[in-house]
Amino acid sequence: MNLFRSEEHIARWLGTREPGATIPLTKLTELAFAWWDDRIAPDWAPHTREQNVAILERLGLVGDFWELA
Amino acid sequence: MDDADLDLRRRTYAFFVEHRRAPAPAEVGEPDDVVAGWRRLHDAHALVLNPATDELRMLNPFSCVPTAYRVEANVRWWYGNCAWDAIGICAALHSDGRIEASCPDCGEPLAFDVRDGRPSDESLLFHVLVPARHWWDDIVFT
Repeated sequence: MNLFRSEEHIARWLGTREPGATIPLTKLTELAFAWWDDRIAPDWAPHTREQNVAILERLGLVGDFWELA
Repeated sequence: MDDADLDLRRRTYAFFVEHRRAPAPAEVGEPDDVVAGWRRLHDAHALVLNPATDELRMLNPFSCVPTAYRVEANVRWWYGNCAWDAIGICAALHSDGRIEASCPDCGEPLAFDVRDGRPSDESLLFHVLVPARHWWDDIVFT
């Protein structure tokens, strides 16, 4: 889960490996705030799979690659 | 995950945020009970232990060990486990911040600020190599 300067850098870093998924930093930031916002709250409770799926879907991160275990 | 494990998790995270380092077991409770609780929390993906030593490796989004993702937030420096977690530290602390890393391809420094939930550099890209269903197969690699 890394940051890159451009698609060209990603392709060069991947080499012969199968690409995963690429999203803009703006979307990653939205994802991070939705995913981690409550993490040190005193009343934290584990996210359910459904909660996490809802976060991904709201950001358009859908399809086979984003299917959670 | 029962109430006792949730309370142990809360104490562990509170110690980490206060001291910016992972606690030893005795610093958050009776050591044998703490290690047993941390193992249950590890199995529930609520934290990550080094399986060889039972030391804390990740209190996601925080890394307990140095990484390539440095985060300045709340006037302190932290380490994130990855780019997602680095921004997540700002989210968890409800703070603006600065992320410093480097491009894994060329090694050039990458840095940006997070202000009011938005990054200062919108040109950067985030790549996830591992499909979501396999993230926890090997979370350190992911």
